[in-house]
Amino acid sequence: MSQPRRLTGPKKYLAVALAILFILLIWQAAAWSLPSFLMPGIPTVLERLFSTVQEPEFREGLYGSMSRLGSGYSFALLFGIGFGLVGGVLFFFREILRSAIVILQSIPSIAWVPLFLIVMGFGNLPIIVVVALAAFFPMALSVMNATESVQPVHVAAARVMGASRWQLLRRVYLPAVMPELITGAQLAFGNAWRALISAEMLIGFGQGLGRSLAYSGEIADMSGVMMNILVIAILATLIDQVVLEKFKQRMLRYQYV
Amino acid sequence: MQLRFEEVDKQFGQLEVIKGFNGEFAQGELVALVGPSGCGKSTLLHLVAGLENPTAGRVLADGEKIPGPSPRRTLVFQEHALYPWLSLQGNVAMALELQGVAKASAFEQAAAWLARVSLDGFEHYYPHQVSGGMRQRTALARAFIAKPEVLLLDEPFGALDALTRMALQDVLLELIKEHQPTVLLVTHDVDEALYLADHVLVFSARPAKVLKTFNFTHCEKSHDLTAFAAERTEILRLLGIKTEVGQP
Repeated sequence: MSQPRRLTGPKKYLAVALAILFILLIWQAAAWSLPSFLMPGIPTVLERLFSTVQEPEFREGLYGSMSRLGSGYSFALLFGIGFGLVGGVLFFFREILRSAIVILQSIPSIAWVPLFLIVMGFGNLPIIVVVALAAFFPMALSVMNATESVQPVHVAAARVMGASRWQLLRRVYLPAVMPELITGAQLAFGNAWRALISAEMLIGFGQGLGRSLAYSGEIADMSGVMMNILVIAILATLIDQVVLEKFKQRMLRYQYV
Repeated sequence: MQLRFEEVDKQFGQLEVIKGFNGEFAQGELVALVGPSGCGKSTLLHLVAGLENPTAGRVLADGEKIPGPSPRRTLVFQEHALYPWLSLQGNVAMALELQGVAKASAFEQAAAWLARVSLDGFEHYYPHQVSGGMRQRTALARAFIAKPEVLLLDEPFGALDALTRMALQDVLLELIKEHQPTVLLVTHDVDEALYLADHVLVFSARPAKVLKTFNFTHCEKSHDLTAFAAERTEILRLLGIKTEVGQP
């Protein structure tokens, strides 16, 4: 009856620590069994990481990547939530949007890169658009699907209290879909992050995390490759597990009491 | 606020829920609607609330056709109508906030109203943290805070246990005495109707027709309903429940 449904406190952190340890162990095992020019070990890569983050060039590239991610992702959040909510109240529009998303979502976002490159030229824009596209679909879909399960009694109660359409969206639909919205935002972040790195790897105008990774590969600099992968993993985990999780617990406070 | 139904029909697609309903309810009256499940009583409330429009006929409030929902005619639902993401205080305050009252003032008045229904100290609790009876007290506070002229109650205590229900009926009576709204109460509980109402309308199965109207002039309301034994038997008989014992 009173079985706790989620781990909390030290036990949860222990589980996370074990997972990290497990991944590092596999890596180090590979490093021990392969020659070091193929697979560098953890200490080598960490040393490389500490020296590289001192370089302004690397930091600039990182900053560029993060700002592209930020613009694309926030664009997707804004429009995904907006379209999702409007689709929630306009039923015909919802069906159109849903069908369009199902079709467009089947195209890997990276497949748009050649088109956008030629239309928009080399620069930040094609990458931002690809990131936004990748994140928009799961965002809009999860919000839209969630609006369907908003309880009619919650809507009716607000209407008899005199809520306008805008107040209904803002005070009933938005908080009611918040759990799915946040799950959608986490899903969208994963998509955005993958799109960012792959687009940067593909578009070689010489900056950013993805480009830095691709370049290390091209010159067979394996400690550079592993270092970039490490940075990608650390950043994504930090954003997802710290920033988005904190946001979730803040927004869904009522579920945690 | 006076309410008037003129030859009201309501259909949902092919389903005829209300047919040719007429009725007039004076300001300050408390009218109970009892009848079999799904006979259209709740639909009558939704028509008055402005959530639905009649297919034919007119529903008038103070002689005016009802244009849509308005906080002057408010509805209390059976349960689960509080917002789970708002504290009890936030839920009550929302009724005022939706009418443009500033948040601070709305929250202050909400706290006073929670105290009025004996929930002081529970302002910051969320609905899932309190009992069903406390949730319905909150729902009553949320309804009364907007000073409605018509109060529509859709089986407000239907999900509560008998003792909690009786306590809440008394809370409701007190609030009604104080604020004098016109009240339409849909209930399955004949004793609740007898205890609370000035008039009891007994409905047939769908499409809803009034089988009989009972009028009471209560001097002093009391949970001892023995004085109404004859009416109780009559209402239950109309609803198809046999109450005589020992018949061969």
